[in-house]
Amino acid sequence: MGEHKLLTEHFGTEGLQTLAVYERVGGYQGLREALSRFTPETLIDEVKASGLRGRGGAGFPTGTKWGFLPKDVFPRYLCCNADESEPGCFKDRALIDENPHQLIEGLLIAAYALQVNTAFIYIRGEYHDQRLLLERCVEEARAAGHIGANVLGSGFSCDVIVHGGAGAYICGEETALIDSLEGYRGQPRLKPPFPALKGLYGKPTVVNNVETLSNLPHIVQRGGAWFKQLGTEKSAGTRLFCCSGHINRPGTYEIAMGTPIRELLEEECGGIWKDRSIKAFQPGGGSMQVLLPEHLDLPLDMDAVAQAGSSLGAGAMVFMDETTCMVNVSMRLVDFYHHESCGKCAPCREGTYFESDLMHRLEAGHLTLEELHTLADICDNMNGKCFCPLGDTATWFVMSAFKAFRDEFEAHCGAGACPVRTASAQLVTA
Amino acid sequence: MAADTTPPAAPEDGLVGITIDGRTARVAKGTLVTDASAILGIHIPVYCAHPKMDPVAVCRMCLVHVEKMPKLQPACATPVSEGMVVSTERADVAKTREGVLEFLLLNHPLDCPVCDRGGECDLQDFAFRYGPQASRFPITEKVHFNKAVPLSDRIELDQERCILCWRCTRYYDEITGEKELVLQERGVHTLVNTFEGKPLTSAFQGNLPEICPVGALTNRKYRFKARPWDLQRTKGVCPTCSYGCNINIDSRDFEIKRFASRDNPLVDDMWLCDRGRDSGPSWNNVERIRRPVLRDATGSREVSVSEAVAAAARSLREVRERHGPSSIAVLGSAENTNEEIWLLQRLARTALETPHLDHQLEAFPDIGPEEHALGIAEIEQCAAVIVLGDEPEREAPVLTLRLFKAQTKRGVAIRRVVAQATRSLVGELPAEGLIGLIADETNREHATALAGELSRSHQVRRMTVTRGVNGRGAKDLGMLPNSGPGYTAVDQAGKAGRHILEASAAGLITGLVVMGGSVWSASVTPLLERVAAALEVLVVIDTRPGPLSRAATVLIPGHAIFEKGGTVTNMEGRVQRVRPALPPATQTPSETRILSALAAELGAAGWPGDHLLINRELVTAVPAYARAGNGGRALFEAAVRA
Repeated sequence: MGEHKLLTEHFGTEGLQTLAVYERVGGYQGLREALSRFTPETLIDEVKASGLRGRGGAGFPTGTKWGFLPKDVFPRYLCCNADESEPGCFKDRALIDENPHQLIEGLLIAAYALQVNTAFIYIRGEYHDQRLLLERCVEEARAAGHIGANVLGSGFSCDVIVHGGAGAYICGEETALIDSLEGYRGQPRLKPPFPALKGLYGKPTVVNNVETLSNLPHIVQRGGAWFKQLGTEKSAGTRLFCCSGHINRPGTYEIAMGTPIRELLEEECGGIWKDRSIKAFQPGGGSMQVLLPEHLDLPLDMDAVAQAGSSLGAGAMVFMDETTCMVNVSMRLVDFYHHESCGKCAPCREGTYFESDLMHRLEAGHLTLEELHTLADICDNMNGKCFCPLGDTATWFVMSAFKAFRDEFEAHCGAGACPVRTASAQLVTA
Repeated sequence: MAADTTPPAAPEDGLVGITIDGRTARVAKGTLVTDASAILGIHIPVYCAHPKMDPVAVCRMCLVHVEKMPKLQPACATPVSEGMVVSTERADVAKTREGVLEFLLLNHPLDCPVCDRGGECDLQDFAFRYGPQASRFPITEKVHFNKAVPLSDRIELDQERCILCWRCTRYYDEITGEKELVLQERGVHTLVNTFEGKPLTSAFQGNLPEICPVGALTNRKYRFKARPWDLQRTKGVCPTCSYGCNINIDSRDFEIKRFASRDNPLVDDMWLCDRGRDSGPSWNNVERIRRPVLRDATGSREVSVSEAVAAAARSLREVRERHGPSSIAVLGSAENTNEEIWLLQRLARTALETPHLDHQLEAFPDIGPEEHALGIAEIEQCAAVIVLGDEPEREAPVLTLRLFKAQTKRGVAIRRVVAQATRSLVGELPAEGLIGLIADETNREHATALAGELSRSHQVRRMTVTRGVNGRGAKDLGMLPNSGPGYTAVDQAGKAGRHILEASAAGLITGLVVMGGSVWSASVTPLLERVAAALEVLVVIDTRPGPLSRAATVLIPGHAIFEKGGTVTNMEGRVQRVRPALPPATQTPSETRILSALAAELGAAGWPGDHLLINRELVTAVPAYARAGNGGRALFEAAVRA
């Protein structure tokens, strides 16, 4: 248990971003083995056996997702989702910054398993430096014969195209990503048909997260069975957790699944800062429901966290100390969704605007109790009614915080100012 | 014994069983829940869904509960499946509808009292039926947009009223393919605008305000002209071309305020072109002939209609006595109804006994029904369609939309080639399936030649775009010098339209009866002026003044097509009713009654004057019209030739 370095093993190695150094530490061995030891079918079986689940947030089993592609329909496409935009999430950036070739190798392994000849890396617009880095690495790998016609002399051909988004959260949703990649407004598509049947350019398409793909070289080299014994029964392998908020050592930590959250907080993150106590934390990024100190003993396991009413999501841990105003945090998150709503469906487009208006007035202490109930009601009118999960998740944090910290929310009503901040100011100066 | 709880097996009829709010039906596989509910008489409110477009499920108004589904489902995008149980009455569905309406009204200006759409607005209607009674959102927080954005000289957009249902952008993507409207910005600031801010140029813009479920897109020509509840609505047929689009004529205070589409999936598929749509209100300002006039060398005087009819009969009899029946000719037009055509050709052939009759200027040798075999909706069933020249689509613009639909939704290969195309110019055609061949009347000879070439290897069906709202009816019913009613042979072929006029100018024809000649283009005006100067007797029955009416020895006003009853036949042979939408602009009787009176004065008594009675006579004589009934196609098995 505890820290287990797999994806991050070589982080910090001088020059790891170059092909030469990456290959010196064993890079592209996974691709070589995949091409020589596996057929596409046995490779998919190996990934199924590994129990690898998607690291983008939904946690869908990767091998199963691959299995949905219809047979004999070509061309097919593979997209790496590097549109990491979840508030509090920065693990994919670390994976690209520190070890870009590991991602490219994973992408090529997946491309081989899926018999894809054109793979895309869709990277968010704000990751400008990372896009340039990936483009350089792709060129390097192409020059070395790892990308392009006849990869490593295997007869399999695959091109890799790095595509920068324009900075929209919604483009992390796989169908919006596909729309954006095709050159349209990035907006989610009606499902079904799912991308596995009709995705990019109307062809079967798989969209996988950066971390998911980065796992593949290790699964190929060490075997699915080895990977599966890391972590827990239903959450295999390690995960990168991006820890931020009121902690002493914020950063990205690779942890075996099943480790208690408290261990992550105390040992890796160095505990809550300024010797304060923890008030709440968010286990999966801005979309996910708030958890309380009593949940710290939960294992880092997708199902255990789901049972507690939240989700590990994309692995973004945001810890909040005792001085935090939950209304203020809710307001900031609601503002994020209001700003990022694509405008396609009415409940999200208008609902996030209504929510934001109410939260600002609540935070300023100008909301009435009746209007606070309106907030709960409109969240109910949004949750589950929107076109895609963006609108649904725009209500999750605020609703869970309202439930867990109802007194705090109600204390804001008519207070004329934030009561928590006022109290915290006294605490700090005392 | 325990009761058998297994449900009875579904019959294998290719249909699926569905239960909505306790009512069951068996509907075709793939039917959407919204359509299935309509079959069951259950109302599901929609904004973004549109019967002619693919579902997008963005408005979320149609969310319903489907058993075994964790979340409410958009009925507009959910196909039925066997045993599906849907509820539209549950409390969560009702609350969701109320919630969605609250969201849609959040930034809506609520300016219904000054909105053109008030009274026929889905937002207004559903808000009353399903919406919250009061707003919980502070009015000061509303997002404001531009309220009057001219998108072109025809369309104005109120961006505040827009509920972003995407119908207009999808219309341009899916129906016309012109992609002139786009969405800009995002989130609550999303708005509809023209691509790159350029004015719309489409020839089908008038459909936009009709598909808009609210008052965001309005017609600049109709804006602020009437409230929907003040309008009187009459079913009609667009009079602008021979495509025969079904319309609603909306009038108020004896003026046509607008033409609205009336969906006929076999003809217009609910789309009108702007030329047709704009033609309605333009009738309000047309100069009309209002009183019967007799004119001789000494001058002109207004008379009663019976005096005018008697004078016409007297003068025509005199001409016949002096110069023989062949010195008389009769000209109708493609604007006449079938009933008028029926009496007019009968007048020419039996009362005046002249072979010289026509409804157009050009001569059509060897005319036959085979050039009208292809139906409009059948275009979608063709393997390939060849369009000769760009005239067919210029003549009948809505044809373009049908061709686009056939191409994009049915995979029909559309070949647009020059009018003189030969087999080699058409290129490769699918080996199997029906080939459609479309040409206008000026290219009927090219079409005949090409059809002959193609029919050696393919099954070819032709469509000829006739001119005038009833050009097809006039041909079917024998208003031709070389073909009798139902394309029957005639004993003696007479002169065609232009020859009649030339013979009149040359003094060979001395008496001419013209009904509806004011539609002829300005290019024949010099000829008409020579005709007017040369004729001894010129009887004109018309709605609008023209070179002939100004010189007519007997002038009798006619009724415009919106002022009378009857039938017209569109280019594919579809016989459709027209009904009076306005009282006539004159106090004289309709053309059919005038023709029957004229026949009586000429000694042929007992002709019906009422269009329904004439129609009864007509369908007896032309069985294809009896089979067509009202709204069906007149199909002639083969031309009967002597």
